Amino acid sequence: MSTSTGAGTGTSTAPTASTIETTAAHGNLTDRVKAMQSVWILGVLVVIVAVFGVMSPSTFLTTGNLTNIAQNVSIWAVLAVGMTFVIITSGIDLSVGSVLVVSSVVSAKVMESMGDSGWTTALVGLALAVVVGIFWGALNGFLVARAKVPPLIVTLGTLSVALGVAQILTGGLDIRSAPQVLQDNIGYGRLAGIPAITIIALVVVVLGGIMLHRTRFGRYTYAIGSNETSARRVGINVDRKLVQIYALSGFLAGIAGILSLAQYGTTTIAGQSLTNLNVIAAVVIGGTSIFGGQGSMFGSMVGLFIPAVLQSGFVIVGVSPYWQTVAVGSILITAVYVDQHRRAAAVRGG
Amino acid sequence: MRSNLRFTAAGLGAALALAACSTGAPSSDSSGGSSGGGNDNKNIAFVQGVAGDEFYITMQCGIEAKAKELGYTVTTQGPQKFDPTLQKPIVDSVTASKPAALLVAPTDVQAMQAPLQQAAAAGIKVVLVDTTVNDPSFAVSEISSDNVGGGKAAFDAIKQAKPSGGKVLVISTDPGVSTVDARVKGFEDAAKADSAFNYLGVQYSHNDPATAANLVSSALQKDPDIVGIFATNLFSAEGSATGVRQAGAKDLTIVGFDAGPNQIKALEDGTVQALVAQQPGTIGTDGVEQAVAALTGGSVEKKIQTGFTIITKDNLSGEGGQAAYKSTC
Amino acid sequence: MSPRFEATGLSRRFGRVQALDNADFDVDAGEVVALIGDNGAGKSTLVKALTGNLDLDAGEVRFEGEPVHFATPQDASRLGIEVVHQDLALAPHLDAAQNMFLGREVMRPGVLGHLGFMDTPQMRRRSAQAFTELGSAVRSVVVPVGSMSGGQKQTVAIARAVAWADKVLFLDEPTAALGVVQTRNVLDTIKKVRDRGIAVVLISHSMPHVLEVADRVQVLRLGRRVATYRGADTSVEELVGAMTGALDPKEGAA
Repeated sequence: MSTSTGAGTGTSTAPTASTIETTAAHGNLTDRVKAMQSVWILGVLVVIVAVFGVMSPSTFLTTGNLTNIAQNVSIWAVLAVGMTFVIITSGIDLSVGSVLVVSSVVSAKVMESMGDSGWTTALVGLALAVVVGIFWGALNGFLVARAKVPPLIVTLGTLSVALGVAQILTGGLDIRSAPQVLQDNIGYGRLAGIPAITIIALVVVVLGGIMLHRTRFGRYTYAIGSNETSARRVGINVDRKLVQIYALSGFLAGIAGILSLAQYGTTTIAGQSLTNLNVIAAVVIGGTSIFGGQGSMFGSMVGLFIPAVLQSGFVIVGVSPYWQTVAVGSILITAVYVDQHRRAAAVRGG
Repeated sequence: MRSNLRFTAAGLGAALALAACSTGAPSSDSSGGSSGGGNDNKNIAFVQGVAGDEFYITMQCGIEAKAKELGYTVTTQGPQKFDPTLQKPIVDSVTASKPAALLVAPTDVQAMQAPLQQAAAAGIKVVLVDTTVNDPSFAVSEISSDNVGGGKAAFDAIKQAKPSGGKVLVISTDPGVSTVDARVKGFEDAAKADSAFNYLGVQYSHNDPATAANLVSSALQKDPDIVGIFATNLFSAEGSATGVRQAGAKDLTIVGFDAGPNQIKALEDGTVQALVAQQPGTIGTDGVEQAVAALTGGSVEKKIQTGFTIITKDNLSGEGGQAAYKSTC
Repeated sequence: MSPRFEATGLSRRFGRVQALDNADFDVDAGEVVALIGDNGAGKSTLVKALTGNLDLDAGEVRFEGEPVHFATPQDASRLGIEVVHQDLALAPHLDAAQNMFLGREVMRPGVLGHLGFMDTPQMRRRSAQAFTELGSAVRSVVVPVGSMSGGQKQTVAIARAVAWADKVLFLDEPTAALGVVQTRNVLDTIKKVRDRGIAVVLISHSMPHVLEVADRVQVLRLGRRVATYRGADTSVEELVGAMTGALDPKEGAA
């Protein structure tokens, strides 16, 4: 900041600094939450929960069921944190499911060879999964930022390559020997009645949210998605940031790989096939713009719970599985449609 | 702000409309009754391995028919793919809905162990149909085809068509699916025991017809003299037939497992020469019988194996045709 | 005393086109110099050359009397020279304060700052202060710039440039696409910036706007400076004549 800005211009008839709004439109927390992009979609979630709650109060609105829902979205939540960053840059990461699988395969293979089933083995496994995840994420980022290949193509490619590597490493056979401590404590352990895996996911989500909304890293993520040229002009090293953001997504896929191993006790090589699309749908439902520049971690989490709650509710009231996919798809389109209109209204100043 | 409210209202309206769909949905015949609990709970849940597969639909038909006869209602659910990460949430929700019994086709021997054990612990009678898990001791019964026998039957069908022997190949789905592994084993044991045949091993199609087609056409590039292919399930058979057609190979016996409408069509067209049909309807019927027996204190059989029907062009109009799977009940 | 920023004998050729042909330019502190010329006269080439966005074939650039060479726009920034491009280069989803400090965020003191946490209240306060001092029409530093009017966006871009450029400010067509009231605000802003002792270079096609704010007008034609007028002494007819070559004034008429 230049020194001259600090010196007041006494002759000015302009408004004083105090008349310009410097706090988020409305002071208190409730109003701030109301002003968020994702607030209407939270309303949708509340309505869905209420409808199912009325339809089958004794089964849907039980602690057991709600805990199950939270547990079942935990792994996706970890992936959604990275996906939110990536989509805000106007990118996409289709490879998360495959990177999850290859991370869990590498880590399971090494943990298996260590033979032991204790915490040391589990920590080595976690470290390996994270390293493998970062490798694939950084590779995505490098190809997007430096080689200028569109993210859709890059991550479609690594989706396939990473899964292939997992199959080569295992011969296609799932490894079913995750250390017992992982399965007992992380996969099915509970703290104060809350599944351990959900607590871990919550910590990741909160840290991710702080990083996105409070730090310079997050600010640059928005700037790159909002106007990449302007980000470059003000001296942001956009290429390096993109590599870091995709690496973050890979890192989280590595963590998700270990969590998946803990939860399922197997590497789910043939599974996770729809994980990427489910996570992308959640992030987009939550108000993150596929064109970049806009989105919130809170919204992504709401977006994650909508399909999960719908599925659980539909199963409980006994709706055919085909209607579930129809419902989730419709909500996805409605969410984006409404969001577009809100945005157009905002630009008009409405 | 006014427009925000309007859109919020639109969103809520959409959600309500979706929720309203549920009451008009075709299979919601149990709606409202799912919270009964106690002795008057007449609900049976069926969780398929994958939704929309004729094998599971035929099983569903058997289940629904038998349940109706015994005075029970059935709710059927299934994941979009044969994938434990998609099936587990469904099983968890079914458990929360507290049906009297759960008939389930587990998608992974390890991953589905804990969720199903949880269901059994909640007092639900669990019957494993078609597939199983590592430790099925919590289940009241396991009902499946004698898959090893099925694999052997497939080999016999090839041998019947090609008595002089030659190279044989297996196209399977994914390793780790207990039933499929057993079929492959049955086939492999029989092929290796017969010196006239040269067993080329197994390729995995990941339950994707396009992949199966590629595998088969590539295998035919390498070994044009393959005489027989055993495709272990629906999608593998469909893909293998496509692959053989793509490669332009002739005089090759493909034996499919299962008998969906497309396989029957392939059999009629002469692309597939024989089908080993399971009896999913019987599996379903037996499953309901065992579940009800467990609920009413009758005697329960821990393990039931159902047989096979070999379908060829010759018996298609009679016994074979009846064994074909249905796409609707 | 030498002018704040001056250039002599600038030449640059693109293939067969002589974009700059021995062009001269100068601007002094506390002065608005308008740079006018027909399309293709070399205005944008000259601005690019003066701000580190383009290499020169020949010529010398002097800043406060000292010869300088800018390899990148950042080199020019470091000396307090900024450009407001026609596209403004704002991030529409970020608010005015976030845009103002983009790439130059104020961090929280201590450990939190090292962890990447920003001092948002301070950035907002300083942005608000900057807008106030420019008498800008921006009423909030916390709404996304994308939802602002064209004039408000222009002020945000100018305020951002001025906040970091206390020596020379280039404005490329700041009033194109603006309404009457918004244009008035931008022109007032330009005068305020000049009154703070900053050298302002205004590139514009609008002769009335040029005549209103410019202390001097430099006319470019065919890649060279063909005339310089005092803003107070000239007229639209004279400027248009010089631009099109209908008049043939002598270099350095002012």
